[in-house]
Amino acid sequence: MLPYVIRRFFHLIPTFIGATLLAFMISQLVPGDFLTAKALEPNVRQETIDRLRAQYGLDQPIMVQYVRWMGNIVRGDLGLSFSSNQPVMNVIRRPIQNSLYLVVLATVLLWLMAVPLGVYSAVRQYSLGDQVVSAVSYFGLAIPNFFFAQVLILAIFLFRGFTRDTFGYTGLLFPVAGMTSNGWENFTPWKQFWDIVHHMIVPGFVVATAGIAGFTRVLRGQMVEYLESDFIRTARAKGLGSRSVTYKHALRPAIIPFVAGIGALLPSLIGGAGLVEIVMAWPGITPRLIDAITRQDIYVVLGFLVISSLLLMIGNLISDLLLATVDPRIRFS
Amino acid sequence: MAARKVSDVLPVLPPAGGPTSKTQARIVWEQFRRHKIALFGLLILAVMYLMAAFAGFIAPYGINEYRRTPVSAFMPPMTIHWIDPETGRLTRPFVYEYVSDRDPVTRQRVFVESVEGTRYPIQFLVRRPSQPYKILGMFTSDLRLFGVEEPARIFLWGTNNLGKDVFSRVLYGGQISLTIGVLAVWVSLTLGMVMGVIAGFYGGLVDDFIMRLVEVLDAIPGLFLLIVLATLLKDPRNPLAQAFGLSMTSGQTFLMIVIVLGFVGWGGLARTIRSLVLSLREMDYAQAAKALGSSEMRIMFRHLLPGTASYVMVVLTLAIPGFILAETGLSFLGLGPSEVDSASWGLLLRDATARGISIQFVPWLLIPGLPIFIAVLCWNLVGDGLRDAFDPRKRR
Repeated sequence: MLPYVIRRFFHLIPTFIGATLLAFMISQLVPGDFLTAKALEPNVRQETIDRLRAQYGLDQPIMVQYVRWMGNIVRGDLGLSFSSNQPVMNVIRRPIQNSLYLVVLATVLLWLMAVPLGVYSAVRQYSLGDQVVSAVSYFGLAIPNFFFAQVLILAIFLFRGFTRDTFGYTGLLFPVAGMTSNGWENFTPWKQFWDIVHHMIVPGFVVATAGIAGFTRVLRGQMVEYLESDFIRTARAKGLGSRSVTYKHALRPAIIPFVAGIGALLPSLIGGAGLVEIVMAWPGITPRLIDAITRQDIYVVLGFLVISSLLLMIGNLISDLLLATVDPRIRFS
Repeated sequence: MAARKVSDVLPVLPPAGGPTSKTQARIVWEQFRRHKIALFGLLILAVMYLMAAFAGFIAPYGINEYRRTPVSAFMPPMTIHWIDPETGRLTRPFVYEYVSDRDPVTRQRVFVESVEGTRYPIQFLVRRPSQPYKILGMFTSDLRLFGVEEPARIFLWGTNNLGKDVFSRVLYGGQISLTIGVLAVWVSLTLGMVMGVIAGFYGGLVDDFIMRLVEVLDAIPGLFLLIVLATLLKDPRNPLAQAFGLSMTSGQTFLMIVIVLGFVGWGGLARTIRSLVLSLREMDYAQAAKALGSSEMRIMFRHLLPGTASYVMVVLTLAIPGFILAETGLSFLGLGPSEVDSASWGLLLRDATARGISIQFVPWLLIPGLPIFIAVLCWNLVGDGLRDAFDPRKRR
C-alpha cells in the first residue's frame, strides 16, 4: 500500500507544476503590473518605479518570475497581497476554510440522501416512488444552483410572512445571508458552532442538490444492473434475506464508482458552491476571488488557484486510495 | 488467363426495390420517436429557439428601452383584463394604466391599477418606428406582435430596477443564453476531437503530453478558471486583445465567452474520444486502411473519427445544458455579455440580487430563472432520449 501512495504522490508533481504554470500564464493577461498605476502619479519618479520593478523582480523574463514564484510556493510563501499589504496566505486562509465547510456538508448530505434514494428506486423499480424520485432528479439536475438559492430565500421570506400573520412570529426559519449572526464573537463556543451550522443548512443543501440528483440516477442504474445479475440470483437462491442481498451484494459493487468519483465531485461542488456563496453572502472563496481579480490583486488570485488545485489533487488522491481499499479487485502493482 | 473482375468475387447486390437495410440515422430516429418525453423536450426546445430568433417581434419593447418618467421601476406584472367590468361580458383584452403610490406603512413605492382611468386595449401587430429590431441579425423591422397605446405601457412580467420590461428582456436574453451553449459545445468538440484522436492514434509521448494537459486543466476548478479568464479577457487592455487589436465590443465579448467556455470544457471529451480511438485503431478496417497506404490524417479523420460519432452526439447533447448553466452562472456574476447592449438570463437574475433589494418585494425578478430551468431540462431529456436511441440494448 505505502509504495502505491508514494507513487501516486509523485505522480501529482508534474500536474501541479502544469497547473501552476497555467495559472501563472493566465495572470500575465492582466494589463500592466501593479506599478503601472504608480507610474501615473506625478510625484513618483521613473527611477523609483524602475528600482521597485527590479526589487520585485518584475523586470525579469516571465519564466524567471515563474521559477522564483514557484520556489517560494514550495517554501509555503504565496507572495504578498498588494491591496491589503499582507501575506497572501493570511488573506486566503479564512475564505478557503469557509468554502470547505460548505463542501464537506454538501458531500455528507449528498451521500446521506442519494444512497437511500438510489437504492429505493432500484429495488422498487417503476413504482410511484421511483417515478417521483426520477422526476425530482431531473428537476435537481436542471435548476441552476444560484437560481435555486434565490427561490429558497424567497420561500423562506414568504414563510416568515405566513408565520408572522398566523403566530406573530417574526424570525426567519433559516438565516439567508452570511455565516454568523450579529454578536457571534460573544457567543459561547457551543452556540457559535450551532449558529454556523444553522447558517450552513440552506447553502449546503443547495450545493448538494445537483449532485444528489445525478448520484441517485446513476446509482439506480448500477443497482438495477447488479440486481439482475447471476450472483444476486444465487444469493437469493441460497436463501439470503432481501436486506442482505440488497445492501451486501448489490449495493457494494454498485457504490464503487462513486467512491472513485469523490475526487471528481469536488471541483463541481466547489464550483457549485461558488455561485451559492455569492447569492447567500457566504464568506467563501468565490466572493473573495472576484474581489481580488477586480482589484488586480494578482497574487491573491494565484493563491486561490494554486491552493484550490492542490486541494483538488489531494481529493483525487484520497478517492483513489479509498477506491483501492474498497475495491478488492484493485492491486497495487 | 483473363483476370477475374471484381464483380465476380463480390456477392451480387439485391435488386433495387427489394428489401433494403435501414441506415443508422433512420434506426436512431425511429427509436427516438418512440421516446415521448424526449420528443416533448425537442418540441419545447424548438419553440424556445424560435421565440429567441423572433424575440424582437414578440417582445413589446426594445432590449434596453426604458423611460424615466413616469417612474416605472419595480412594477409588478400587470393584470390583463378579459372581462368588461360594466357589462360582465368577454371583451377585447385591455390593461389599465398604473399609477405609483406610497405604501402608508412601509413608505415603499407601490403601483396600483387606476381602475377609474382610461382602459388601454391591447393592440396587435403595432409598428414602433422608434424601436427597430433585427431578426437573425439580418432583417430590420419595427413590427411588434402586441403593444398598448402610449402613454400606457404593458409589462407582462413586471419591470426591473430601471423600469425595463422583464418579459421583453427574457426573450432577448434567450438569444444569448440559448446560443452560447450550443456554440461553446462546438469549440469544445473541435478541440476535444482533434486532441483525443491524436492522443489515441499516436499513443506514446504525444498521448502522455495531451493527457497531462487535460489533467492540468482538470486540476483547477472550472468555475475559478472561467471567472479569471472571463474577467481578464473582457478587459480590452489585456495583452491578447492588444495583440489582435480587439476593442472587446459586445460581439467580441460574446465570442470570447464562447471560446473560454469551450476551452475550459474540452478535457472530458478528449479523454473519451481517446479511449474510443484506442480500441477503434485496432479494428480490421483501420488496419486495412493502413495496409492500403492511407495517410495518417486520412485514417484518423476519415476512418477513426466517424466511429466515435454516435457516442459524440450523445455526449454533445448532454454537454449543452452544462454550458448553458456555465454561461448563465458567468453572466450572473456580471462576467458575461455586458448589461448595456445585450441581455442574458443570468444577467437578468443578477437584477434580483442588486444591493438594497429584498426579493420578497420583487419576486417577478426571478422569472428569468424559469427559462434556464426549462432549457436545461429539455436538453437533458433530448440527450437521454438520444442515448437510449443509440444504445442497441435499449431497442424497442
